[in-house]
Amino acid sequence: MSIINYVNKEIQFKIVYYGPALCGKTTNLTYIHSQVAEAHKGELVSLATAADRTLFFDFLPLNAVVVKGFKTKFQLYTVPGQVIYNATRQLVLRSVDGVVFVADSQWDKMEENIESFKNLEENLVRQSTSLDQIPYVLQYNKRDLGNPAPVHYLDFVLNNRSVRVPSFVGIATSGQGVFATLNAISRLLLQKFARENETASAKQQAAPTATAPASTALSGIAAAAARR
Amino acid sequence: MTRASNAIRRTEATHMQALAILTIQSAERLLKALEEYLDHSEASYALIIDRGGAILSQLGEIPPSVDVMTLSALAAGSFAATRELALRVGEAEFTALHQQGKNSQILICSIQDEAMLLTVFGPKTTLGLVRFYSARAVKQISTVLDRARGESRIPIDLGHEVTSGLRDVFHEPTLRK
Repeated sequence: MSIINYVNKEIQFKIVYYGPALCGKTTNLTYIHSQVAEAHKGELVSLATAADRTLFFDFLPLNAVVVKGFKTKFQLYTVPGQVIYNATRQLVLRSVDGVVFVADSQWDKMEENIESFKNLEENLVRQSTSLDQIPYVLQYNKRDLGNPAPVHYLDFVLNNRSVRVPSFVGIATSGQGVFATLNAISRLLLQKFARENETASAKQQAAPTATAPASTALSGIAAAAARR
Repeated sequence: MTRASNAIRRTEATHMQALAILTIQSAERLLKALEEYLDHSEASYALIIDRGGAILSQLGEIPPSVDVMTLSALAAGSFAATRELALRVGEAEFTALHQQGKNSQILICSIQDEAMLLTVFGPKTTLGLVRFYSARAVKQISTVLDRARGESRIPIDLGHEVTSGLRDVFHEPTLRK
């Protein structure tokens, strides 16, 4: 769930890039890091093996738009794609707000894509959540390589749940589709957050007694802000 | 600048996964616990972070070169990996993780199932002292978090802009020109 910092007026979201080994998750983050201005990004941290394969995760903190006075911060993580690192993937998924599933478009990678997607669903279940509750988008990466499957086939294979989600074609090495994907998942997260808050607000209005702690807290925010 | 004034500057009032809300009052209680802990243990700085790597509170002399978000993400990953190791040798959890360098040491202690206390300290103090006072701090922080669970969520109205199709989240001038 998103983290709200009322004093600094910040909302933090955690986005995890998921997908099979060598599909381009780290390349997405590397491209984003190369394009975002210094003031809006932190360090890109990669816990990788000597051969540059992700061992634990990559991490990139980003600052984005200010909405109604709240700064939005997005923490981007990747998981290691290799099958043997499932325990690590489960750890990285902890407290996830949104997922970008990066698929390798090559025909011969289809089985790995499907396995990885199933693995994502299973790992979310272990965290008592599911893709019905967590916003996610799909990126069909590596469109520039020799033998890509058609987009409608990738949609048929990976985007076939009851609700279809946004999908993007990508060539992460050159940046194609990278920001479209990131913007889509970020928008979905903000929209979900706004909807949840509208619901909370409506509930509090319906039950006046429940508003007392909130108004007390808001006084506290004002007081703390005044002292800063 | 005193620690108390730093406390206000560094206040982190946050909303974590297992908590309904952390109001400013709860955040100040966390800071009070950290202030007492740092005063007694003489550690350099301490952070309370959730198991997902998000910062709930932080206090102390944090060098400007230290990116606390990255520090928290790495600490959460490291502690989570240690927990998995514990499970594999038949322990429910290793309650603390200690790393020693030439000039700095890090102690990470578990707080219930959802949070951790990360302490960074130098030669000014000792591991024994930090461990002793961290146990007390962990108890205090647990009490604050328990209390915070009963508090209501404060709705934040992000307005029309978000619900009716936001412009790009990452746009100029976020990107390099």
